[in-house]
Amino acid sequence: MSLKELSDDDLWLQMQDDLYDGQKDEVVEETKEALARGHTPQQVLSEGLVAGMDIVGADFRDGILFVPEVLMSANAMKAGMEILRPLLVETGAPRIGKMVIGTVKGDIHDIGKNLVAMMMEGAGFEVINLGVNNDAQKFIDAIREHQPEIIGMSALLTTTMPYMKVVIQALKDEGLRDDVYVMVGGAPVTESFGQAVGADAYARDAAVAVEMAKAYMARRRGEGVAA
Amino acid sequence: MTELSERRRERRARQVAPRQLAAQISYTQPRHELLDTNGIRRLHDAAMRVLREFGVDFYDEECRAIFADHGALVKGETVFLDEELVMRAVARAPRQFTQLARNPAHHVVIGADKVTFAPVYGPPFVQDLDGVRRDATLADFQNFVKLAYLSPWMHHSGGTVVEPMDEPVATRHLDMVLSHILYSDKAFMGSVTSGPNAADSVTMAEIVFGAAAIREHPALISLINVSSPRRYDDRMLAALKVYARARQGLLITPFILTGAMGPASIAGSLAQLIAEALAGIALVQLIEPGCPVIFGSFLSTMDLQSGALTMGTPEAQLGLYCAAQMARHYGLPFRSGGAFSSAKLPDAQAGYESALSMLPTLQAGTHFVLHAAGWLDNGLAAGYAKFMLDCELLGMLHTWVKGVDLSDEALAFDAMAEVPPGGHYLGTGHTMRHFRDAFYRAELFDYTSSEQWELNGAQDSYARASAKARQLLASYEPPPLDPAIAANLHAFVAERKAAIAREPRDF
Repeated sequence: MSLKELSDDDLWLQMQDDLYDGQKDEVVEETKEALARGHTPQQVLSEGLVAGMDIVGADFRDGILFVPEVLMSANAMKAGMEILRPLLVETGAPRIGKMVIGTVKGDIHDIGKNLVAMMMEGAGFEVINLGVNNDAQKFIDAIREHQPEIIGMSALLTTTMPYMKVVIQALKDEGLRDDVYVMVGGAPVTESFGQAVGADAYARDAAVAVEMAKAYMARRRGEGVAA
Repeated sequence: MTELSERRRERRARQVAPRQLAAQISYTQPRHELLDTNGIRRLHDAAMRVLREFGVDFYDEECRAIFADHGALVKGETVFLDEELVMRAVARAPRQFTQLARNPAHHVVIGADKVTFAPVYGPPFVQDLDGVRRDATLADFQNFVKLAYLSPWMHHSGGTVVEPMDEPVATRHLDMVLSHILYSDKAFMGSVTSGPNAADSVTMAEIVFGAAAIREHPALISLINVSSPRRYDDRMLAALKVYARARQGLLITPFILTGAMGPASIAGSLAQLIAEALAGIALVQLIEPGCPVIFGSFLSTMDLQSGALTMGTPEAQLGLYCAAQMARHYGLPFRSGGAFSSAKLPDAQAGYESALSMLPTLQAGTHFVLHAAGWLDNGLAAGYAKFMLDCELLGMLHTWVKGVDLSDEALAFDAMAEVPPGGHYLGTGHTMRHFRDAFYRAELFDYTSSEQWELNGAQDSYARASAKARQLLASYEPPPLDPAIAANLHAFVAERKAAIAREPRDF
């Protein structure tokens, strides 16, 4: 059956299923089809992409989906979002959010950070991934260029985690600290360390990072905390 | 909330579906061998000297007569054997055999390059799901049969998985054999507590498999313990004769606590163990040439300071490697090992001792691993949680024993070509082909972050294992059994119980 013959409800289900299976090209086609039918970008996002990724998230949490599968789903989500994002801006829809993320100076370990970036993209966030070994200036430049709501810093080494405090101090010095929500993470990082360096949030894993980022964006939009 | 779509439902089903029984392990790795040619000869010569000079007692007149008919010297209850007689008889034993299971997919090959895992055998107590040590009951027996049936890593249903202390001694064997048949479709062991009990076990196997079928391939393997040093008792010998004449498998196992039941050295205890095992195996082959047998070894140490039995000690593992190598030298399937421990609950001691026993068991090339799960308290107690945790270890060992795949697919050049320096492999085509079964995934060990673990209730493996046992027992469904066979079994058990009630008994 071709896409055109599907009812709207079946089109949403098909999108969700293809997201679930990480079928990037199909999700792109379905996103275009939904828009062609006159659905608003906001509607395509919530009925198709977000609804689909909610299922992916639940099944990942329950151990049904594996990391590589979630990665494929997140890539499909990202592809759909690339079509929707400019349209969402045009229609003045509230932004899901933009994040600048990087491993701090001295540290080139980034598998965990990449998992966070992937999960954030899976939740519809636009992610600017600075990669590894970033000094404070790179974070500052990226904030000025990309205007994110959130920055994320990670470290694996106990010797590099104190640099997070350096970045946060630099943000203060540049007058940028209040514009961004600072999230920290990484294997040796803890809640109390996050507080000590002046971060806004510590996330113990990628799924929690996404939940915290979504909750922050809801607060920022004045929607109150999503449960 | 949207409906569960078809594709998602399929994945959920795959995730929750009970795992099929894993295929028997095939050894591919080289065996760990401690003995060189000279070492093998020294142990063999010492064992032959034990048989020739000291002899072995057989508390059964007919067995002694069988030995005497074949030229052995018999003085009183002691049988003295020369090398030629013993080795000629032992040479008749098959190098490997297949034991029948009620489900043909669960037949087990004993010997060759195969490993069979079987549950703990003999504990009169259980460490129950509330952590209480108490007398084992028939209900416990059935529970352990069910848990063994449900484990994908347990190839065999075992024998006296616990001693059902709430059933009369005279009829317990009927309930045990019946429970194995009703609650599992894996292979099981027969009763060895007397000749008539062994005969009942054989009859029940005949009802299930047919009398002709079990003469071709045994449906029972039964555990004949040597009452070391150098002594076979009357009950064991009565059972041995029944099973040998029915061509059922016999597991001949000296039980030696070195220092007390054998010399206070590994070499001396091994010489005695080899002598004892070969004497019993020779007897079986004199009664029924070609009857399936297994060379067994239960060798542990005694704490000579306190007199306590000790499990999972390094000396016992050294003995295990040598005993396995000697069985291989004689061309016999070998039994040893188990998830041994002296611990009273599944604590750190239990984990260390069991792991330290199980790895050498497989490195040694053991074919039949009795006590592979559930053993606690020197074998006095069967632990529910311990059983679950041991099964997790067995699962890991299934992978561990396989060694390394060196195929082109496993070398994964296509994946490396996709990933730049510092990149990641989580999304490569190769990963997508293999992620689901690339690595063993333990169910009962915790891999979450410490924060997540605390949020989940900060459970240790003991608590997780107990919860899993409860869940499995609640969801258990028996395997199908032909109603006609079931009716015949129940009728036989009822008839035997009535007959036994009329017999004079001194206990």
